[in-house]
Amino acid sequence: MKNLFNAYRVLAIIVGVLLAFCSLVALPLKYLAPEGSDLQQFGEAASIMWVAHGWVFMIYVVVAFLLSRKAKWTPAFTILALAAGLIPLLIFWVEHKVSQRFRAEHPELVTSDAS
Amino acid sequence: MRISLVNQGIGRARTPPYDQDVPRLLAPRYWGVHLVAIVAVAVAAVLGAWQYDAWQERRAAEAVDLTRLEPIPLDDAIGPDDPFPGDKVGQPVVIEGTWVPDATVLVSGRELDGREGYWVVTPVATTRPDGPALPVVRGWTPSPDDVPAPPTGATELVGWLQPTEGTGEADPDPDDDILPQVRTADLVQRVDQDLYGAYAVVADQDGVNDGTDGLEQATLAQLPDVGRFTALRNVLYALEWWFFGAFALFVWVRWMRDETADTQTGPETHATPETDSEGEPAGTAGEGQ
Repeated sequence: MKNLFNAYRVLAIIVGVLLAFCSLVALPLKYLAPEGSDLQQFGEAASIMWVAHGWVFMIYVVVAFLLSRKAKWTPAFTILALAAGLIPLLIFWVEHKVSQRFRAEHPELVTSDAS
Repeated sequence: MRISLVNQGIGRARTPPYDQDVPRLLAPRYWGVHLVAIVAVAVAAVLGAWQYDAWQERRAAEAVDLTRLEPIPLDDAIGPDDPFPGDKVGQPVVIEGTWVPDATVLVSGRELDGREGYWVVTPVATTRPDGPALPVVRGWTPSPDDVPAPPTGATELVGWLQPTEGTGEADPDPDDDILPQVRTADLVQRVDQDLYGAYAVVADQDGVNDGTDGLEQATLAQLPDVGRFTALRNVLYALEWWFFGAFALFVWVRWMRDETADTQTGPETHATPETDSEGEPAGTAGEGQ
């Protein structure tokens, strides 16, 4: 359970960062920066990160689902947690909630220095 | 039909033999769940197939060697205002028209047998001398100082049709006649007429056309790779979609198994979908730990 929880946190943060970067940096640059400018080209090249996001998200979905079973999340929260990988920034809040709840329910599994 | 199954299922829900679980799952209150699951699986499968098709199409367009086909008239392949036809990459076309020698440019960064050199590009106006023009790669030269004078007058030649380039590479010196790519935006500043959304690489080195004199044959092998990465992206997306489809299927089957397991192991009540995942410790029979 602890390993699953840690894996979930790491994956959530990677998915969150990739999604935030793709949707809030690469996407606007690609379409809003002046055509042919350095920034626009960077946005276009950086769009390849969408593929990375997609694949990490795939792993995230599996791990989040397994965790949802063990931690007995409500179906609504499970769906929210899975969808959070597709809605920019939401996943950070979800990860926070999950961690909060995990620490509250399993204080024995959490090391005291956890931030 | 369904109704009778449902009634039967509910009636025996308390102590069902295993084979009665299937009818129970067909109860109307579960129809929404099944519908969502079926839609999710179907949508993922279709989107995956769509990406897979796109991947195959791109690969086919890339892999098919059109260069040995019979030349077709340029007009049959592309009109002056048409977007580039994706299935005509490398198609030999017959280009008739008039050279526009003043618009001759060099395109840098072209290799031939490992040597860096330049393409020599002169547009051909297809209908009238001031009509729309198609940039034609006449050949390759190792040095920009060693370019034969551009041809003039009427011409008829066969060339391999290519989509214009344009990954946005900036022209380091916009004032000279050397471009980094065969790009309409740069070329259009050097002609008075419209340009096609394509260019051609001269194919008939043995033909009777003065445009290639003094130049080495530029071949399609010298073309930069186009679209390979994008095509790879398509297949990666296809795999992702199918994965999500399989995942939805897995969750669905899993849920059905839990539902039926609940009725077998849970003596006092049968779990509703809402309490299934969240419910009391004994609720999730398969996963409890």
